[in-house]
Amino acid sequence: MPLAFSANLFWSALSSGPYWRGALTALELTAASLAAAIVIGFFVALGALSRTRWVRSVAWLYNWIFRATPTLLQLFFIWYALPQIWTGFAGSWFTPFMAAFIALALNEGAYMSEIIRAGLLSVDPGQELAGRALGMSRRRILRRVVVPQAIRIVIPPTGNEFITLLKLTSLAFVISLHEILTASQELAVVKFRYTEPLLAALVYYLGIVSVLMLVQARLERRFTFTSAGRGRRRRAPAPAVAAVPHDAR
Amino acid sequence: MSVLRAYDVTKWYGPLEVLRGVTLEVDPGSVKVIIGPSGSGKSTLLRCLALLEEPDRGEITLEGRRPGPGEVGMVFQRFNLFQNMTALENVMCGLTEVRRLPKSEAREEAMAFLRRVGVADRAAQYPDELSGGQQQRVAIARALVMKPRAMLFDEPTSALDVELVREVLDVMESLARDGMTMVVVTHEMRFAHRVASSVIMMDEGRIVEEAPPDEFFTAPREERTRRFLALVE
Repeated sequence: MPLAFSANLFWSALSSGPYWRGALTALELTAASLAAAIVIGFFVALGALSRTRWVRSVAWLYNWIFRATPTLLQLFFIWYALPQIWTGFAGSWFTPFMAAFIALALNEGAYMSEIIRAGLLSVDPGQELAGRALGMSRRRILRRVVVPQAIRIVIPPTGNEFITLLKLTSLAFVISLHEILTASQELAVVKFRYTEPLLAALVYYLGIVSVLMLVQARLERRFTFTSAGRGRRRRAPAPAVAAVPHDAR
Repeated sequence: MSVLRAYDVTKWYGPLEVLRGVTLEVDPGSVKVIIGPSGSGKSTLLRCLALLEEPDRGEITLEGRRPGPGEVGMVFQRFNLFQNMTALENVMCGLTEVRRLPKSEAREEAMAFLRRVGVADRAAQYPDELSGGQQQRVAIARALVMKPRAMLFDEPTSALDVELVREVLDVMESLARDGMTMVVVTHEMRFAHRVASSVIMMDEGRIVEEAPPDEFFTAPREERTRRFLALVE
């Protein structure tokens, strides 16, 4: 006989401490690794576009390693192998959260670098030329002219990356990080029921992603350069940058 | 006495020699108009004069020295206004980012130049919201605000709809009247005729002929110039 859906169990799961804390952990991990990945990705993208050959090689090598190997393998490597190679990682500071943060930031940095590189390349070279004609340094042109225009292009695929990362945080379950999936698993094992605990986990993911989508829409308006500013969009939407397929990660 | 000078400028793009030892002297207050077929090296010469390209041989001097930032203004065919800035911010940019002027001062200065080119009422608009003619006039203001000793124009009206060409040429003509030293690459022969101090014909990376407009258009010395003029007129 099929088990009847227990609204009670569902609601108590939804409002329980482990779920809240798990969701918070997942959100923190996602935000922190994405922020670090954007910084890493920006410099790797500059490296990939560098005129110096060895700098390009380093950027290429980084991307190659972190995109060609499974995220789970990278996570295992950092959590289990790294402390054996380097005792500095054997200390108590090296928590599952830190390990997951390092692994996801490094992994995501490679993907972000490709997105940022595409964004930088999408800016008309005439923009840099005009800056140089005014006597601006390359660094200033990058900061004041190229990056603000690239951001508009980079936002939508970065939203994708946020969502991917959020889901990837559930991988950290295997190195005993307490996130949303851990909470649902623990509950399921105790209650011998899967439907309600997993549905509750699903609601949390949906909630976080919904908030992200709102934030993304605001950011896109902020970086659309028309005097009407918010809301009204006169320009055709920026060309989408081909998203990197995520399924295989 | 020339203010802006290119001496024996040679430029290679890979195996292609785009400029073959060009020497050009621009006197203060004069307007040089350069014409020639595409690929003749006109634009490359302007880019060298603006220090956007480093010549492989020869040198560019402004009053006998290397030009400083913003001292030689450049106006591009496709305007190249900063897309993420309003018209006013575009004109302010050189003042705040290069000259390091405080914002309030830069704003006032920039507004004065927007008024001068007749687009002050569009100060708060972004480039996407301006017509081509308005964009090009903002671009001229952006270069002028740096108080350049000379201005370079690289086919400034070629990307414009016909009815918008006039407003840009008018601004350029008034600049010339005010004594601005200018080098203009253009296909606007009537403008050349009316405004130029001398007209230069370029072909295959060399200056073929240089003469005052009356002489240049009525009695060109070189066969190459005659052939080119026959094609464009």
